[in-house]
Amino acid sequence: MSPSGLTLALLLAAATALPAGAGQSLAGFSAEEIRQVLRHGPWPQTVPPDPANRVSGNPAAVALGRALFFDSRLSAGNAMACATCHRPEGALSDGRERALGRVRLDRNTPGLWNVALARWFGWDGAADSLWAFVIRPILNPDEMAATPRQVAELIHGDAALACWHAKAFGPPQGTDPERLLSDAAKAIAAYLETLVSGKSDFDLLYDALAQADAAAALRYPPDARLALFFGRGQCAVCHVGPNFSNGEFHDIGIPYLVAPGRVDPGRHGGIALVKRDRFNRLGEFSDDAAGVSADHTRHVVQNHTTYGQFKVPSLRNIELTAPYMHNGHLQTLHDVVRHYSDLPEERLHQDGEALLKPLHLSEQEIDALVAFLRTLTSRQFPQVNPAGCR
Amino acid sequence: MRRWLILVMGLLPVQALADCESGSTQHRAEGRAVTVAFATQPARIKVGEFFSLDATLCPKAGASAVRAFKVDASMPDHKHGMNYQPSVVRKGDNAYTANGLMFHMPGRWQLVFEVDSAAGRERILADYQLD
Repeated sequence: MSPSGLTLALLLAAATALPAGAGQSLAGFSAEEIRQVLRHGPWPQTVPPDPANRVSGNPAAVALGRALFFDSRLSAGNAMACATCHRPEGALSDGRERALGRVRLDRNTPGLWNVALARWFGWDGAADSLWAFVIRPILNPDEMAATPRQVAELIHGDAALACWHAKAFGPPQGTDPERLLSDAAKAIAAYLETLVSGKSDFDLLYDALAQADAAAALRYPPDARLALFFGRGQCAVCHVGPNFSNGEFHDIGIPYLVAPGRVDPGRHGGIALVKRDRFNRLGEFSDDAAGVSADHTRHVVQNHTTYGQFKVPSLRNIELTAPYMHNGHLQTLHDVVRHYSDLPEERLHQDGEALLKPLHLSEQEIDALVAFLRTLTSRQFPQVNPAGCR
Repeated sequence: MRRWLILVMGLLPVQALADCESGSTQHRAEGRAVTVAFATQPARIKVGEFFSLDATLCPKAGASAVRAFKVDASMPDHKHGMNYQPSVVRKGDNAYTANGLMFHMPGRWQLVFEVDSAAGRERILADYQLD
């Protein structure tokens, strides 16, 4: 086939596959912009039950998990709760460059809204499930520094927690502290699964374009130009899908020197950790005995290009979780966009993502991209409020 | 959306989809000594979702049976591959299933079939445009 014939074949294939509502312009949005917008919804998404967590979606587990999330007795010396860093008033982040546990940590505290829609958890993806992700800070000596026995005694010793635990997990099955630790983590994960933010201006635009409602589409902020995000910026290559993340890892030229002589290996270290984690989806604590949800754990491969890679964060509600990047060294969304505008090519991995080139944006373009990012901020943050256990 | 282009040793003739004696017929990639007929499960590949691939290998006239078969994929324009290593299971005579494939970005992907037979080793490529 000649190159022109090949191009024609591609165009024909693309034309036949456009979703409903696309294919023509509407309210000033081009056909390509509409096609791109329709790849990033609908919203909110339904969180599917986690096969590795048998109490995923269980209301009693949600109640137990919510109680534990705010309970400082889950740490050594009752010093801190999950909510100490994942502050409800801070979009479940802490506003610090780097998290403050018992010591200053190496990485920024990620926000937790919509966290259940991820595949990997943590900046390095060292956890392959939400409940395994919960266990890490509880046991980490630099964070909550609890022990499995402490968690077990807390659940057994508190009447309300014990009541919720019995309702969620049934009669106690032995006294193995690690089993109770995994129960606690699965309950907290069940609670975190409920944290799905409401619609944003972008989602209202999605709805308008999906329904070909021109009047509603015109209400979208005019300065938030989509073309930069979806076009020249190529942001949507990685920040793709309803949660604006492909769920994977990239090196975008953020320094990974933590201190003189010490680097953060990022994804390279995370893969090593998840492979040997007794609480991973292939381990004895997983409720997915057949491993049907463990494809990513089973097939993930560690190679030299994973060194210095960090997770592609969701962009939903990004306006609320400054500062940015895995080490929090960019203070504002303008700083983030400028980073991509001036991308330090000499810092990028030689075998890394070839797509990454400096965007050389004007100040007006930077403002427009920031305005777009702000349209991803939800208008509502629905929260569960369980009644007491009876 | 399914948009396959089949490459033969780096060249570009788009093959008519036809049976390869038996087995999977969703797509077909022609090599020097072997034809690979393959289908993905699910048929429509999505960004960031795992899929498997059933392949039937058909040695051409005069060629001998296949000894080994591997599947991988890359994004040539991005200069990287997948983040996951597929495992290949032999299902029968010249029939294989590869599990654990994932295309984690939209764009042009290239499946790489490595076939080892008495006629030698060859790499057979199949392009896929993921939107």
